[in-house]
Amino acid sequence: MSAAQIRFATLWRREVSRFMKIKKQTLGGPLLETFLYITVFGAALGSRIKELHGIKYILFVIPGLIMMSWATNAFTNNSSSILQQKFQGAIHDQLSSPASPLELLLAFSLGGFVRGGMVAVITCAVAFVLVDLPVDNILVLIPALFLVGFFFSQLGVLIGVRAEQFDDVAFAQTFILQPLIFLGGVFYSASLLPQPFQTLTHFNPIYYMISLVRYGFVGYTEISIPIALLALTAATAALFAFNLRLFTQGYKLRA
Amino acid sequence: MSDKALHIVDLAKRYPTGVEALRGVSIDIEPGEFYGLLGPNGAGKSTLIHCSTGLAQPTGGSIEVFGHDAIHDYTAARQAVGLAPQEINLDHFLTAEETLDFHGGYFGMPKRARRERTEELLETFSLTAKAGDRTRTLSGGMKRRLVLARALMHRPRLLILDEPTAGVDIELRLELWHYVQKINQEGTTILLTTHYLEEAEQLCSRIAFIADGQIAAEGSSDDLAARFGVANLEDAYLALVGRNELSRSRVEGIEEIAL
Repeated sequence: MSAAQIRFATLWRREVSRFMKIKKQTLGGPLLETFLYITVFGAALGSRIKELHGIKYILFVIPGLIMMSWATNAFTNNSSSILQQKFQGAIHDQLSSPASPLELLLAFSLGGFVRGGMVAVITCAVAFVLVDLPVDNILVLIPALFLVGFFFSQLGVLIGVRAEQFDDVAFAQTFILQPLIFLGGVFYSASLLPQPFQTLTHFNPIYYMISLVRYGFVGYTEISIPIALLALTAATAALFAFNLRLFTQGYKLRA
Repeated sequence: MSDKALHIVDLAKRYPTGVEALRGVSIDIEPGEFYGLLGPNGAGKSTLIHCSTGLAQPTGGSIEVFGHDAIHDYTAARQAVGLAPQEINLDHFLTAEETLDFHGGYFGMPKRARRERTEELLETFSLTAKAGDRTRTLSGGMKRRLVLARALMHRPRLLILDEPTAGVDIELRLELWHYVQKINQEGTTILLTTHYLEEAEQLCSRIAFIADGQIAAEGSSDDLAARFGVANLEDAYLALVGRNELSRSRVEGIEEIAL
């Protein structure tokens, strides 16, 4: 391995080792939360609703839950990790190393990406076994999940860098992210909503992310898949470019 | 390209708040030199160090570390520098051993070299028994030793010590003095900031006084005393900060009255 490869691998390993050391909180908690959602909305509510657009309700809900767990874990991990390191001053060890802004940004991003991915993969595996979750279009599903994971990893990095106190991270998560996810159609179909809520849902970017992942699993969609994939790719690339600019400038990282 | 260990020319740092922490600082440190930087709190010592290590971005001037531009050719420049900061900034999630191993990785050291160097430094700083302990459980003295070990992990040619003995007991202070003198004799260039004047006198071959973001004077301890027309480094420092009335010769007289 070259010095640059060792450097990047170590930066990334530090991010993974952080959440692996507290896996009851970082993996166990999110998994339990996801399974509670599946139990409540799938088993309990599902016995009443039965089907949505010809799809068993539990199968309609699980793709959204998988997307939600990857998104929230990627976001929470990265925002918390960066803010904690800023508080401790420990981030100076990485910042004073020869690592480039790109290496630092990617390493910080991939910590949360991996954590969210682990939660999503375990949830998928359990869903495949217990409720026979189908995969209708893997060529949409894989890029959609990776893009969602990477987008929220970038968002977590952005909030972590900008944040000056833990309240800032909690605010973004509780008052912006959670409502957008819950109102994005994880538990219901937007086409069933009365107006103006149906139209308003179309202004929520997370609605398109959930729709992409749902299409990948069960083949149902209310949106144009190519346009949504293109828009998500463009949004992720734009956010990444914005973060790279912040890291290059040293915004709130270097005095 | 400079052949100096640290070549700083006209360095300026103005914070977004408008505070001018550095106002045209120029210093040259020769390879193998033990150089001291003294000045009151807020004089600009830590800002100068942060600019040299990439933790702060200068607003003017230039910095070269062993001929490498620390701003534009930062990879080579930072590779040559080890920093033991004033504040203990250990990662609470890591053990003592991991702290050294990760640092070595950040500087591109291969696995075997990291393992050997980690064992060597843990032994040197009497931390072997604490290798697997999380850093937050270590005593203050152990944390201070680990911070120094971390700075040395990648064998830097220029070691920057920002008040390394602040708040440590006498034994540890003397231990650290012996160790840094040893590595200096082995060829490592050292930049030291301290508030302990006897530390600077004991260790440094050349000392600079920094005040209000500018270098006020530079030279050996005797040079500085002569420059200010006083008997020793402490009185020269007091003259610099305009507090001659605190000179020990005057305070000793007061002590006699007080007793």
